[in-house]
Amino acid sequence: MKWQIALGTLSVVAMVIVLAIVAVGEPRRMAEFTTSYQARQIETGALIFENSCRPCHGAQGEGIDGVAPAINAADLFNGSRLSAIGFAGTVQDYVRATISSGRPVPSAGTNYPQRMPTWSQRFGGPLRDDQIDSLVAYVMNWQDRALQAGAEVTAAPVGEVVGTDITVALPAGNADQGKSLAEGNLGCVGCHILAATGPAWLPSGDTPGIGDRAATRIGQADYTGHATTPELYLLESIVSPNAYVVEGFGPDLMPANYGQRLTPQDAADLVAYLLSLR
Amino acid sequence: MSEAVAPTPSEQAPSLPLTRREFLYYLWGISIAVFLTGSGGATVWFSLPRFRAGEFGGVFTIPVDQIPPADTLPKEFPEGRFWLVNIGQRTLTDPRQPPQYPETAGVKALYKVCVHLGCIYKWVDTNDRFECPCHGSKYLKSGSRIDGPARRNLDVFIVEAIDAAGDVLSRTEPAMNTLEGTALEPPSGTVSLRIDTGRRIQGAFNSKPGGGM
Amino acid sequence: MALFRVHIPILDEVKSKGLKPALRDKVDDLVTRVTAGLDMKDVRGVLRDDPPGRPNPRLKPHAEGFWLHMKPTYYHNLVDGLYPTFRLGWLSVYAFAFEIITGVFLMIYYTPSPLVAYDNMLNILSNVPFGRLMRDMHKLGAEAMVIVVSLHMLRTFITGSYKFPRQFTWVTGIILLGVTLILSFSGYLLPWDQLSLWAVTIGASMAEAAPPEIVGRNLNLIVRGAPEFGPGGLLRFYLLHVIALPLAGVLALGVHYYKVIIHGHSLPPGAENVGEDTARKIPMDTRTYFMPTILTREVWYVSGLTLLLVAYSAFVFHAPLEPHADPLVTPLHITSPWYFLWLQGMLKLGDKVLWGVILPTALIGLLVSLPYVEVGPSRRYGDRRIGLSAGISFVILLAILSFMGTPHYAVPTSPDQEAVAALLPQTQPGPLRLAPWGQLVLGSYQAADWRQAPTPAMRELLHTFGEELTRVQTADRQAVEGIMVVEDWQTDLKKVTLRVVWTDVATNQPHEFSQTAFLHRNSDYGQGE
Repeated sequence: MKWQIALGTLSVVAMVIVLAIVAVGEPRRMAEFTTSYQARQIETGALIFENSCRPCHGAQGEGIDGVAPAINAADLFNGSRLSAIGFAGTVQDYVRATISSGRPVPSAGTNYPQRMPTWSQRFGGPLRDDQIDSLVAYVMNWQDRALQAGAEVTAAPVGEVVGTDITVALPAGNADQGKSLAEGNLGCVGCHILAATGPAWLPSGDTPGIGDRAATRIGQADYTGHATTPELYLLESIVSPNAYVVEGFGPDLMPANYGQRLTPQDAADLVAYLLSLR
Repeated sequence: MSEAVAPTPSEQAPSLPLTRREFLYYLWGISIAVFLTGSGGATVWFSLPRFRAGEFGGVFTIPVDQIPPADTLPKEFPEGRFWLVNIGQRTLTDPRQPPQYPETAGVKALYKVCVHLGCIYKWVDTNDRFECPCHGSKYLKSGSRIDGPARRNLDVFIVEAIDAAGDVLSRTEPAMNTLEGTALEPPSGTVSLRIDTGRRIQGAFNSKPGGGM
Repeated sequence: MALFRVHIPILDEVKSKGLKPALRDKVDDLVTRVTAGLDMKDVRGVLRDDPPGRPNPRLKPHAEGFWLHMKPTYYHNLVDGLYPTFRLGWLSVYAFAFEIITGVFLMIYYTPSPLVAYDNMLNILSNVPFGRLMRDMHKLGAEAMVIVVSLHMLRTFITGSYKFPRQFTWVTGIILLGVTLILSFSGYLLPWDQLSLWAVTIGASMAEAAPPEIVGRNLNLIVRGAPEFGPGGLLRFYLLHVIALPLAGVLALGVHYYKVIIHGHSLPPGAENVGEDTARKIPMDTRTYFMPTILTREVWYVSGLTLLLVAYSAFVFHAPLEPHADPLVTPLHITSPWYFLWLQGMLKLGDKVLWGVILPTALIGLLVSLPYVEVGPSRRYGDRRIGLSAGISFVILLAILSFMGTPHYAVPTSPDQEAVAALLPQTQPGPLRLAPWGQLVLGSYQAADWRQAPTPAMRELLHTFGEELTRVQTADRQAVEGIMVVEDWQTDLKKVTLRVVWTDVATNQPHEFSQTAFLHRNSDYGQGE
């Protein structure tokens, strides 16, 4: 039985040593865990951004002219935007407030006349507080690169642009190319598929897709544009959106500068894609 | 009276010799006592709350441009539970200041809680002093008590002046005679003040009517 | 002249006996009170293992004290070795006490609300000294308790100790088994991460399956506080976990242990005549006394076991923390905790009412009624071959059902998703997240060209990816390719896309499935959390 006493004493002494070893390592372990979960927050935020924010703000937060401002931008992180509107909190507060409440009222007099959806569940949106925290962490992680050289807004292409004259002949269009253009940096899907800011492209219920509707619109009595065929109607909708506004939607909502941003081939591809949506 | 009382242990035969087994048991008992003491310390460390920066109980960083100018109104920081006061010449020469608490120019972080029974005192501009609504204790901008049932001057938090590299240039020290916290004159190169709401210096003893010891 | 008329007795004694003897008597008096009957001489006698003398003073702490009141003063020496009990009952109580202590410490930093529970877990792991150790010990103790309690039940069955007069002891044991399992299950929900929410949702859904429908629906509402787990469910499970079940456990344990003592620990089956129960009468020459033998052994066990649990939690075993619970997304391959895998296996066999409610209830009924039905007088192994075979078969069946409960059996989704899930699982970090971040070189890589990958980690990942992809290639899917794209995305953040493309033989159309993950340099999944 004496060995039990000896082993018992050894066990207790060993426990004191184990606790001491753990105690010595605790401050560093706690700091490392803090770093690691902040990193995981950024990863989570990146996924949410990819699904929810990229269509309007661009894959690298570079913004889309006329659709949504750049967030990967120096003037956000150096506080210029905040002082311009007299915001009292930090950049982080500003980002969190903007994501949570969105922009339910369009900012008049800016390049971005559209509404930004409300994201926080507290105000009727789909995201929980921890998801918003992740998004904020992801956006704030652009600080270094934004302050060095912010990503540019997608510039106009070099060379010819299609302009606003819809009578100009276009080359043959490729619907698949048009689809990837529409889903890319032009910001189309943000209003026409993911939200109801503009007329829905896809068919739903009894309403056919935009490809079919184009043919009927030009025959309508209230049509104020100049197109004579469905292809021309679709081209006109892209480059001269105010020529005719569909009932239920207002003027000046769609950016009017696509004519300066698309080559004739781009325009032809987009029209081909839209025509295929029946 | 009968004398037949059971012998107490100290009156009995001398005690038995210590065997090895018994000794080992005592060693075990000592190791268990050491372990319990150690785990008691670990329990205390586990249970003590820790405060992140910006939480009351933790550290607040105030950029230099947010410090009120000398002799102006005290500036309140509700989340930190302190008033930031900047003591200038006018405050130093205030006739109401009790002479036992020599003041120097500089910044103090006064704890918002009255040192009498814990209410939150207010700054009353018309009277140029702090006044507590509960029992009427009154204090000057320097934190010295001038009236009311409180028994000491206002408590202050330790303030550190931080430069751009994050090093501490200067810190609130206890005064020589009263041990209460002195004002901190931020040296040149100060980029921010760091107020540690976890470390508080109590105000000096002050109980005479009109203020004083 | 005395200014103060205060009578201090100790001063009288000091006056009459002298200082040192008076102090010694005071200490002796204190020791006698603390031990409920043993003075210093008796205590030393215990420590020296001297013969106790008559009347035996070592009986007094048991007879007159509270703490040792139920503990026997002596055991039969046939039950004092490892066999036949393996001390599993004692181990179960130790595990329970361990869980209570570690659990109360964790309660200091936990609030049962979905809004803050996960943040509380992050706080415990990042801002509380010994927080991770406490949590790991609590989880390790929980798993140990389930194992030990189950083994104890198995042992009791094998030695036939449930028979007359110990039938109700067995029944309270079944109650304690239920308390243990539900304690473990309710605690599982508290971290409020994806694993918690969905593993417990699976388990609780069986309550909903109870027939008739009105019973099932309301039972589900009572258990979860709402149709799905949310604030109400978390609070109810928390209250179950910290007060209701521990209270029930303590009460059932009281009855259980009391009955064990008054009937006596059952002797090994071979040591008695068939049909006899002589456990209560322990002849003097077969006694092992509690003091000092059993007491020393128990304190040694506490020392050694606690060291084992603390050291294992400190250096090896770490409880995981998955991402925040998302009530809208169920992770692929989610399973229930291992001790409920057998139930999940049964649920895959068919109708959830039959396999999830009726059969488990029948099983519980069988267990509870066992000692009242199996009334054969002999406890000897040779006379109970049928019962023992049934027991062994039951254990094997549980093992098979548990395997069937794992995701490998009959749950897989399409092979392309399985291939990607091999690298990017949804219930644990997985190989891609565990790979060293620096070794993920930017670029686009084919799984087939894994040998040309620039770093060892990438070779390993692409090789695994390729192996999994061979399963995608079937009769109607050809030209299967796996691609991994690594892009630089943000400061210290890489975007990895895994893509599987194949051609459908029937329509000759290309198809693809892809999944994206973002990996940060510091996310460090290798710690176990």
